[in-house]
Amino acid sequence: MGRDLLYRRRLLAVRLRSLAIFFAVIGPGIITANVDNDAGGIAVYSVAGANFGYRLLWVLIPTMIALIVIQEMCARMGVVTSKGLADLIRENFRVKVTVWMMLALVITNAANTASEFAGLAAAGEILGVTRYLVVPACALLVWVLVVKGTYRGVEKAFLFACLIYLAYPISGFLAPNLKWGEVFHQTIMPSIDLNTAFLIMIISVIGTTIAPWMQFYLQASVVEKGTRLEQYPWGRLEVILGCVIAIVIAFFITVACGATIFTTGERITDAAQAAVALRPLAGRFASLLFAIGLFNASLFAASILPLSTSLAVCEGIGWERGVDRTFREAREFYLLYTMLIVVGAAVVLLPGISTAHLLKIMIISQFLNGLLLPVLLILMLRLINNRNLMEKHVNSRLYNFIAWGTAIGVGLLSIALAIITLFFPSPG
Amino acid sequence: MIFFAEAYLSQLIGRAVRDPSGQVVGRLEDLIVSRNGAFPPVTKILLRRRKQESLALPWSTVRSVSEEAITLSAPLDRITPSLLEDGEVFLAKVVMDRQIVDTHGRRVVKVNDLKLGSVGGRVRLIAAAVGTRSVLRRLNLEGIALAVCSWFGYRLPEHLISWEHVRTLEPVPDQLQLDIEGDRLKRMHPADLADIISDLHAKDRVALVSSLDEETAAEALEEMEPEERAALLNSLPGHVGAGILDEMAPDESADLVADLSPERQHELLSLMGEEEASDVRELLSYPEDSAGGLMTTEYVGVRAGLTAEQAVVHLREKHEDAEVIYYIYVVDNDNRLVGVMNLKDLILAPPQAIVDTFMAANVIKVTPEVHQEQVAKLIARYNMLAIPVVDKEGKMQGIVTMDDAIDSVLPTKYKKRIPRAFAP
Repeated sequence: MGRDLLYRRRLLAVRLRSLAIFFAVIGPGIITANVDNDAGGIAVYSVAGANFGYRLLWVLIPTMIALIVIQEMCARMGVVTSKGLADLIRENFRVKVTVWMMLALVITNAANTASEFAGLAAAGEILGVTRYLVVPACALLVWVLVVKGTYRGVEKAFLFACLIYLAYPISGFLAPNLKWGEVFHQTIMPSIDLNTAFLIMIISVIGTTIAPWMQFYLQASVVEKGTRLEQYPWGRLEVILGCVIAIVIAFFITVACGATIFTTGERITDAAQAAVALRPLAGRFASLLFAIGLFNASLFAASILPLSTSLAVCEGIGWERGVDRTFREAREFYLLYTMLIVVGAAVVLLPGISTAHLLKIMIISQFLNGLLLPVLLILMLRLINNRNLMEKHVNSRLYNFIAWGTAIGVGLLSIALAIITLFFPSPG
Repeated sequence: MIFFAEAYLSQLIGRAVRDPSGQVVGRLEDLIVSRNGAFPPVTKILLRRRKQESLALPWSTVRSVSEEAITLSAPLDRITPSLLEDGEVFLAKVVMDRQIVDTHGRRVVKVNDLKLGSVGGRVRLIAAAVGTRSVLRRLNLEGIALAVCSWFGYRLPEHLISWEHVRTLEPVPDQLQLDIEGDRLKRMHPADLADIISDLHAKDRVALVSSLDEETAAEALEEMEPEERAALLNSLPGHVGAGILDEMAPDESADLVADLSPERQHELLSLMGEEEASDVRELLSYPEDSAGGLMTTEYVGVRAGLTAEQAVVHLREKHEDAEVIYYIYVVDNDNRLVGVMNLKDLILAPPQAIVDTFMAANVIKVTPEVHQEQVAKLIARYNMLAIPVVDKEGKMQGIVTMDDAIDSVLPTKYKKRIPRAFAP
């Protein structure tokens, strides 16, 4: 009799423990959303608002819909097949396609890594610390953090620091020139200038919000979490919530910059100028607040992005991977990871890279994301509509429509941009 | 029939297939092997034809294979296409670019290419090619890469895994092949098998563990991380999971069952053998961090009053499964602990001597509620390999082995580096 009671007590203890763990862990969706707003993100949304006012806001709504659909696709693939995206690409499209995709991914993500370091450098310079100190120190810090496997402990700290983004909505509401009617109007009505600058911005906004590397990261996180099919509805909810959060932050960064900087008639050419957006809230401390936010965002992404890329590439090509392996066991993985960090940091430290160039690096890297996106989407659509792979969890007609629409839309924008750049070059 | 000495599948795929008159009838799409023994023989070819369905032709219709083409021995309309039979597998479609288990190297790898060879007059699958060089070959860059490497004086190595060490991950249809393939995994050390299982995707894990015999699966599960094996047990069908739990040591089973949801616990316990289930239930009733939570019920006990010879006979007959056989506990008719002896004493004693005369009567013991740290301290202080656990009346409940006691007080990082003292 006594044993039964103790037995039941033990079951209860186990149950409570599981509940606690569930609540304590923030899922892949929310983490991915916060990393979405990395240096490149902050740069793109700031420039969009500062140089174009509210005219690019309308891009955010379709982008959000596309983001939700695409992220959900990755999460679903991860749960149903319990394999990473690179693995699926390898198994279904064979070596040639995989190698090309991985090559494109490495180039794009090297640019993205450079953009994170550019963000770190810019933040450092606002705070008065030379980039030649900040960048190598951060590169080393990130490398050690990840390779020694202590990243997980720091993850919560990064996430907590993301609360800084709250400064943007508050600043927006406090801005004197903010006319909400106009904001609403521009969010609903599309407006487009067929010149290179505008087109580049649209592609960059899409590229920074739906970055290819994020899809690989999200799917890998979902697989690692081991969510089972029965639990998936909760996982899906979490992913959707993450997407909404990311877009809301993007929206407010753009609006805050539009309400403050754009109205003065100035165009920003370097990151420090973007800090003006926070003046309504922070006054003299706007620069400080901005620099801290940028620093946190860049460091957070720099810890995740190169690692996720190396894991994905090694997964696709079939090399041993993982920080729990020794260097000898997983040579290619460690070399690739280190190379990404070194190249990323080196680009920023090259002579001749002015402060204005830092901002350009951040924008161009997101533009590259936008170029790669349609290609990746096409592969993903082929995978997710494959009944052998996904059984009854293939895409619905609506999902297919949205995803194909995004791929074609962005593809057309890129082609339009190419045509305009080649045949109708405009000054600036 | 003229064949190659050896060739890679990636080089054969896409090769022109000609009929005896020299006309091209299609291209090679895939090769089909039959899962038969250590090196599966090629039994059919898959012919890709333009604007028509692919055909599977028997290998016997292939007259020769040259660098340029594969020549058939009869015109296409005179050959009856065959269907895929049980135990036959498409190589390019199902094996290439997938993961396999290398039981020799004890890891999970991706197949980049497959090597075929003529063995005993038949063309067989002889090895899996993994590693960078085979990727380069698939991209037709092998020549360039070799040239570049030799320019640097570097030899680009080829990584091949002999097929007899390979274990694929799709379901195996017939029992004979299952035994052959399962055998390779059985020969691996459970810790290596556990590592391999961890490296696999969730679905492949279930497939692999389901295909093992219960004893091997139990040994492997005992070496896995608690979260992983709990997740694995949740994904297995009830009777399979219960069968594995039956074969595990009771303390390990109890630990594993404790990590499951109450419904799942109830389901599995009801499917397990009666004796095993009651052992587990008993162990579960103690807090995890106590002697009762750590102990195993598999110990060696003999009745007082037996001679040394009778005791040894008893050991042989009844105690195959005991984890610790170095200590033999002496109990009275009510199962109360009265003494302990070690194996050395037992073997060296005169056969007719009564165990009571050479056993140690003053036994260091604990009750089930004693905290794990105290247990570890006692074991360390008295240099014991195991400590018996008795209830209030002195009746034997189980023993706590040294490795389990240390397990509980050392951080996880170091645990992995300590060999299990009593592993099979």
